[in-house]
Parts: sequence; structure tokens; C-alpha cells
Amino acid sequence: MTAPTISPTTVTDEESVTDLDKPWKVIVWDDPINLMSYVTFVFRKIFGYSKTKADRLMMEVHTTGKAVVATGLREKAELDVFRLHEHGLWATMEHDS
Amino acid sequence: MSPAFRRRFRHHRGAVIVALPKEESEALREFLAQLRKMMIDDADPALRRLKPPARPDDEESEIEYREMIDDDLLKGRLEAIDIVESGIDGTKLDEEGVAAWMQSLNCLRLVLGERLEVEGIDTESLDDSTPLVGLYHWLAWLLEQLVEAAMPGLDTDD
Repeated sequence: MTAPTISPTTVTDEESVTDLDKPWKVIVWDDPINLMSYVTFVFRKIFGYSKTKADRLMMEVHTTGKAVVATGLREKAELDVFRLHEHGLWATMEHDS
Repeated sequence: MSPAFRRRFRHHRGAVIVALPKEESEALREFLAQLRKMMIDDADPALRRLKPPARPDDEESEIEYREMIDDDLLKGRLEAIDIVESGIDGTKLDEEGVAAWMQSLNCLRLVLGERLEVEGIDTESLDDSTPLVGLYHWLAWLLEQLVEAAMPGLDTDD
């Protein structure tokens, strides 16, 4: 498994203030292709969640269309999104509001 | 037991054993070769699902994200295909091997699923008379078995 090389990016003042204030949300969206068992497996593997928690999040994605699967600082969220993409899941990140 | 019902992946002492019948390993080898070529060429619209947007709300950040990860994403997927091919005739998978097989099988499903969707073919139907639908279900069946066989290897609590 390879991890992304996260290069330092130019951060504007405005952005760094926002980063400090609000955590990022990592969201997984429902899609018609990924298998439910596979999605649960990926949540357990990437985030170390229990089967119960991973199942609950998978069902939330499946029934409501999306779920926040993790929150954190920008770089952590980027890494989470990368790992979810690596596994073929439809993941996005956005600022908590 | 007839080969049609024998498990292709099973858990054994912390590892996953791969045992595909010859016709299935040959078919998979062929599909993986096509997938590799497709990913390197990077022109087929069906690849869309392999690169979902991370920042649909912010065009600039999305471009940054793609520049940061697309090469790594491709490199990892090509390496995964290499790993699968090296053990396609039967092998014992460690954690890295399991990840490579899962990702490769899932990439094939995503590309195929996208193509079927674009062509308006209902993948939920059990009509396997369309060869691509049969293939799509076969890949799902393989992936389900692999997930089940690999589940005991996760070190999280139940």
C-alpha cells in the first residue's frame, strides 16, 4: 500500500485561520456499484472501526445517501480521502459548519 | 464438491488462500491486462469512477488534490494488478496481497459498472444473458468471498 506524497502547499492567512477553527469532514457517498460488505470492510481497515460502527456507517451511507466517516485536520482528511479513493469509494471532504 | 461451488478465497491461519479454477484465472488475467492498458491510456470515460472528486465544492482545491494524488493512485493500482497476476494461479495472501486483490477486483467492477450504467443496462437484474452483466455478477461474487475470507484478519474488535 502506498501513501500519497503530501507536498507542502501554500496556505493563505485566511485559510490557516479557517483550518484552526473548524475541522474537516470526510464524507462517503452512496454509489450503485460498491458492495455493502466491501464498504464495511474498508471502513474497518482504514479507520480501525469495530464491525458495529463500520456497519452502522455503511448503512447510513446506503439509506441516507452519505455519512461523515471521519473528521480532523486538513492533511489527515486528505489522507483519509486518498485511502478511500484508493479503495474505490466515493469520498469527499469539506469544512465542518 | 463441484468446482462451480467451491470457494475461490478462504481463510486459513491468518492468511487468505486463493484457488481459482483455470478458466476463471485465465479470464481474470485477460481482464486485468485490459484494465492496466485502459488505466495507462487514461482515455476511457468508464474510468470516471476510479477518480471521484475530493472537493466538488472547490475547483481550485480539486485541481490541487488531483495533481497531488493521481500519480500515486495510478501507481498503486498498477502495482496491485502486478501482485494479483503473480499469484493468479493459486497463492496465499498476506495483508498486502489481500489489499491488491480487493482493489483490483473492485476496480474491474467499477469500470464495468460504469460502462453498464452508461449503456442503460440494469445491473440489479439477474439477467445474466448479457455477457457483461454475467461478468459483473461474477466479479461481485468473487469480491464478496474475498471480503468474507479476509474479515478475520482485521484486528479490530467485533
